[in-house]
Amino acid sequence: MPGSAGDTIVRAIGGLCFRDFQQILENQTLRIGIVGCGKIADGHVEQIRAIGRGEVVAVCDREALMAEQLAARMRIPARYTELSRMLAEQKLDVVHIATPPAAHASIACEALAAGCHVFVEKPFAPTTLEALAIFDCARENGRRVGVNYLYNFESPGLELEKLLAEGSLGEIVHLDTSYGYNLGGDYGLAVMADPRHWVHGLPGKLFHNVLDHVLAKVVTHLGDESSVQVESFRRRAASGNDIVDAMPDELRFLIRSGKVTVSGMVSAHARPVTHALKVFGTKDSVELDYATRTLVRSAQQTQPSAIGRLFPAWTQARRYAGNGWRNLGRFRRHEFHYFEGMRVLLNRYYDAIEGRGPDPVPAADILRTSRLIESIVAASKVAR
Amino acid sequence: MKVLVTGAGGFLGRRICASLLAAGVDDLRLHFRGEAPDALMSELRERFPQARIEAVAANLLNRGNLGEMVANVDCMIHAAAAMRGSAADMFANTVIGTRNLLEAAGAAQVRRIVLISSFSVYCTEPLARGGMLDESVALEADGVDKGPYAHAKTRQEQLFMEYRDQFGFESVVLRPGVIYGPGGGAFSSRVGIQAMGFFFSLGRGARLPLTYVENCADAVASAALHAEPGSAFNVVDDDLPTCRRYLREYQRNVARLRVLPVPYWAFVLGARFLKRYHRRSKGQLPAVFTPYVVRSMYRPLNYSNAALKAIGWKQGVATEEAMQRTFRYFRELRASQ
Repeated sequence: MPGSAGDTIVRAIGGLCFRDFQQILENQTLRIGIVGCGKIADGHVEQIRAIGRGEVVAVCDREALMAEQLAARMRIPARYTELSRMLAEQKLDVVHIATPPAAHASIACEALAAGCHVFVEKPFAPTTLEALAIFDCARENGRRVGVNYLYNFESPGLELEKLLAEGSLGEIVHLDTSYGYNLGGDYGLAVMADPRHWVHGLPGKLFHNVLDHVLAKVVTHLGDESSVQVESFRRRAASGNDIVDAMPDELRFLIRSGKVTVSGMVSAHARPVTHALKVFGTKDSVELDYATRTLVRSAQQTQPSAIGRLFPAWTQARRYAGNGWRNLGRFRRHEFHYFEGMRVLLNRYYDAIEGRGPDPVPAADILRTSRLIESIVAASKVAR
Repeated sequence: MKVLVTGAGGFLGRRICASLLAAGVDDLRLHFRGEAPDALMSELRERFPQARIEAVAANLLNRGNLGEMVANVDCMIHAAAAMRGSAADMFANTVIGTRNLLEAAGAAQVRRIVLISSFSVYCTEPLARGGMLDESVALEADGVDKGPYAHAKTRQEQLFMEYRDQFGFESVVLRPGVIYGPGGGAFSSRVGIQAMGFFFSLGRGARLPLTYVENCADAVASAALHAEPGSAFNVVDDDLPTCRRYLREYQRNVARLRVLPVPYWAFVLGARFLKRYHRRSKGQLPAVFTPYVVRSMYRPLNYSNAALKAIGWKQGVATEEAMQRTFRYFRELRASQ
């Protein structure tokens, strides 16, 4: 009898079961493994946990003690020294690759062949050939490839994405990108103190390790055909170690692709350590600072004469104040983490895996970045 | 007897070399990560002309390439350690470097190995307020809850014992408190931290387990030459000041600071809040101070150096004089900048 106590109970049980079922579906998290247990692996584990869509069930490093330390600090249940064993035993959905880049292609292809999606640390691969090999494996196995080009997903990058979609800047004329590197910081010290550090083995050495960050922000505005001019040199004093001293620390480049140009600076000496992008459009220009997470429209004099020159500084102050307020809001909402961009990127990447969106970084952009790095490195060798 | 000192160019390492030579060691091999510093080599050779002093450069992370460094060594003092960097780097430079070194030393049949460990390996959290921290206190199980440095040093000591059991060398462990002196840091985080233009005074009335770098080096030399195999020693000086007194003396002798005193109860509450916020905000602010860290490191304890004295160690530089020397160094350093 409808509306009876029995029916209510049946409905309640039915409802409960449905909710439970829904819960089970929602709680079905991705099984994730990390390969490479150096310092950047911490960031991967933390951001995977922060977004709550996957569980890091295993870590792998050829050095057993490194796998042990990450598993111990992050309380991860399983650790391996052999990738094949981890893949066979853990039935992973996604493998995050955080090893030095020389191993990316072989690890990615092995994981893809085992049916896993892969998320690769930058530099994506030391050569374009290896990058292509990763995508070929992904295609053959029907799996997704992601890359940690996190800065496009920081708040200034996301705001720029919106402005470009709205057409507020008009056509892109020029991009000026700068990236600072502190050789006295944690990463820099590790490179400077150890001639056997993997960075010294990259064709482009230090620049090869950071150019992904520099170029990933601009490649989407470039075509496949481009010309490159480069100056690179070592500004610091010689250390006496030939391998360390062979590493240049200052780079300037100019890229032209059709009607768009890009100028770039990678500097280990300019202070403060900068991380910025200026985008010049036919309608308007904007300045992005990734270190302070601000995006402001460039100053413009709209009123005539000396009086008119009084206004832009105040307009800029108001714009920066607006950025400050927005950042405060992000902090209040816990969206101001150091790796916030990686969090957004991973969410979009997992969406892509689950068929709910496109790849956050298209393969074409990754390959174009890779080709440009090769061109810059080749031109840099000639310039030196 | 040939003695090898790893990390011989470091703050403590270079003093260990001088203490060993002063104690009569006449065949010393010094390990440096890069090239040997000329000034140090010249100074030691001038002061101890009768001794044979040689230098060797090696990266301890290069497994399998350390055989030459440990060849013909009778006693090795392992003072090389990572004091900064990311958690993974600190672990690699401390633990993996030690593993590589012990493998080589074991294969070369080094008879005696002295490890410079740290107070951070002690599990001090259960100790009562005013309790005694001596060598009988239990060690941390893994040190993870006390941060990356404690984790690395705890695992390093465990590894040291594993290799001792495997190779049968004589083991001696020294666990210094806060090593200070010219060339070192001005403040241990036990005293407080500088942030946003203020100095947050954290340790306050707790005794600061100081060991002046030369006294510590003498302790290492004493233990290397006289300690029983299998022994372990805390290294602290006599007449330890409180954190508050150290800070006061610093201000009197070096520079004034805008000091914000943080009472212990407020520190515990703050650490509890920070831990909760860290979890709720998904890591927006790092949980550098947790209640466990505060209880382990900031509760007033007493410290003993009786075991060291029992093997003949005497404090060479009195604490008062050591503090004056240290503050003079910082004063001159500030003036030169």
